Amino acid sequence: MSGASIEKGIEFIKEQIDASTASYFSSCVHCGLCAEACLFFNQTQDPRYIPINKVEPMRRIWEQEYTLWGRLKSALGLTQPVSEQDFADWEELVYDGCSLCGRCSLVCPVGNDISGMIRKIREGFAAAGHAPEGLIGATTRAIEIGSPMGVRLPAVKAQIGHVEDSIDLEIPLDKAGAEYMVLLSSMEIMNFPEYMEAVARIMHQAGKSWTISSKAFEATNSGIQIGVSDLARELVQRVVDAAEELGVKTVISPECGHAYTAIRWEGPNLIGRSYKFKVRHILEVLDEFRSQGLLKTQGLEEARLTYHDPCQIARKGGIVEHPRRLLDMVAKNFVEMPDAGAMNWCCSGGGGVSANERAEGLKLTAFKQKKAQLDAVKVDTLVTACANCRITLEEGLEHYEMDLPVVGLTEMIAEHLVDTSPETPAKENAQ
Amino acid sequence: MAEEITLLESLRRRGVSRRGFLKFCTATASLMALPPALIPRVAAALEQAKRPSVIWLSFQECTGCTESLTRSHAPTVESLIFDHISLDYHHTLQAAAGDAAEHAREEAMKQHHGKYILVVDGSIPLAENGNYSTIAGISNLEMLKECAEGAAAIVSVGTCAAYGGLPMAKPNPTGAVGVSEIIKDKPIVNVPGCPPIPTVITGVLAHFLVFGSLPELDHLGRPKVFFGQNIHDRCYRRPFYERGQFAETFDDEGARKGWCLYKLGCKGPITYNACATNKWNEGTSWPVESGHGCIGCSEPGFWDFGGLYKALSVPTGNIGSTAVAAAALGVAAGAGLAAMNRSKKQAAAKAHETMTVTDLNKET
Repeated sequence: MSGASIEKGIEFIKEQIDASTASYFSSCVHCGLCAEACLFFNQTQDPRYIPINKVEPMRRIWEQEYTLWGRLKSALGLTQPVSEQDFADWEELVYDGCSLCGRCSLVCPVGNDISGMIRKIREGFAAAGHAPEGLIGATTRAIEIGSPMGVRLPAVKAQIGHVEDSIDLEIPLDKAGAEYMVLLSSMEIMNFPEYMEAVARIMHQAGKSWTISSKAFEATNSGIQIGVSDLARELVQRVVDAAEELGVKTVISPECGHAYTAIRWEGPNLIGRSYKFKVRHILEVLDEFRSQGLLKTQGLEEARLTYHDPCQIARKGGIVEHPRRLLDMVAKNFVEMPDAGAMNWCCSGGGGVSANERAEGLKLTAFKQKKAQLDAVKVDTLVTACANCRITLEEGLEHYEMDLPVVGLTEMIAEHLVDTSPETPAKENAQ
Repeated sequence: MAEEITLLESLRRRGVSRRGFLKFCTATASLMALPPALIPRVAAALEQAKRPSVIWLSFQECTGCTESLTRSHAPTVESLIFDHISLDYHHTLQAAAGDAAEHAREEAMKQHHGKYILVVDGSIPLAENGNYSTIAGISNLEMLKECAEGAAAIVSVGTCAAYGGLPMAKPNPTGAVGVSEIIKDKPIVNVPGCPPIPTVITGVLAHFLVFGSLPELDHLGRPKVFFGQNIHDRCYRRPFYERGQFAETFDDEGARKGWCLYKLGCKGPITYNACATNKWNEGTSWPVESGHGCIGCSEPGFWDFGGLYKALSVPTGNIGSTAVAAAALGVAAGAGLAAMNRSKKQAAAKAHETMTVTDLNKET
């Protein structure tokens, strides 16, 4: 068979069901705690958005295919196979109504990784042709052009040129043997070139060699978001090939949540081996520089500010203390939002929701959760470390007419670097 | 002779401070499992309490109960109480002997008629007109009847006095019985045990001093506060029972690991006493903790249970091999299902056609 079909979707889901999935379904006690952990349920109060309900088609397939009772029930006609209609009904729940933020997995008293199961069920939905248009488009562009936003190498080179001109530092491209290979999200290339600038200045101050790869500059992985491992693997492979070809020691995942999950956690499983290099998030690298005394800052932000923990970086990546230690270096009036850290609420645009135009209305409704958190602290500036969070936050704040600038943490650190930019020509220095 | 002074006064004379007295009251209250709010009441009652006269009769017994009491650590609640009751007659403890001793008993009975507490340890032989056991030429049966007549209450200390105990064990040649078989018209508290925990004996006396009444009793006449709980339910080895981990002999691996002693005849499951919670020797240990099963000494007829080392009930047939067979069957069935599921999953994986972007769109 070729092309998408329900049969293929069901086969894909059957393939995804493993021992953990079976134990999750067997151990769910229907307590409903995941409901209130979910911003989509919380803001809509629609029971369809209760996290465990979003994987109901997978539960039915598990029961019918893999359990004695389920087989008996199927034989007696007590349960119906998952149908085209089911796929149609659940598509919106699986993609629009879940940002894979993982808050439900964290509160589940029996330890069921619901968010992980949604990642799995998306494999079946994508194979069944029930993925949203927006995500199909982004994934197609990522595979065919190299970037979900359609950014091609000439555009990257042009941005590199602009940045080099403005800071008088070299942005190395394809430099073999560099210590760090820096990935960028297309959002950063197009919307926030400040990030590239900040990285260049920080690396320069720290005296580290680094490079961007012309073959794999893009960090985002639409395959993970749409839930197609075959495509996600292809995208990870590009980064792995480029990094190993250049012989870098460490690949730095940028301020982008799911890119970090893709390259750091899912990547080795997708390609079936471990990397010959390390993967670190930019905040981990900055915090390491800080602890080694390689990050020297001056001056403190006067503004009252707070930090939005991106789900994939804090909750799933464990990077909670790093940004706070970094903020301590540059901020005087830092306050925590309620639920900050590992239990922070999603910006509402993660897991492919922001790339799915159809989900716009639901996303803005869910954003009210973030709004409530922000209303509680009344800050002047919002700092975060994920370009996707940043764009979602900016859109949400604009929609609710909240006047609050959103800044990337790396960029804020770079603003406060002790000026070492030298009389000696920087470009040579960076060699 | 009982002096007409209050307990507080008596304590003061012995140099016990008010603070020391209140500590004593707190200990007494907790011993009797009373809520802390009642401590002031305990103190007020004990301050006013006259030293009650106590007559202690020992019949067919081994003096173990008295040993238990006197070997208790000091200074303790029990020693304080015994310093402050007027123990007017006690075979083993009194200095007087012969006529003088019997005279003291008669004097106390006359002076405190209707108010004294009668403590009995040992069973009473009924066969041969009670001639198996006499004191000063008086049979135990006669002496009990005589002393019970003017008593406010009777405390049967030890299993022999309470239920007949060892002397009553089959074939019971002396026709031994407990106090309650003979005396029917007086309040009787049974404090069984072979011997009873000392604090349990004194706890009952303290209750009488504080409230002027006897504690609430169970269907076997035992104070619920001490005998309300099952040894097995409170045993620290209970988790091993739940997991089916039993010592099979007294020197096997299980015994060394402190597993459940049920199979070695532990009577914990049918025994009600405070050993597992109050413990012995200043809270140091208790039989099960020192490696021996409970023998059920506070239950009626415990000598005739059918052997101290015989398990209460053992399932018929070889449970071990049945369980192993059942488990093997279960494992095989599970493995069969797992294999079916695995092949189903493998088939799905095998049928997996690598997704391309064109596959994302339906019916291409």
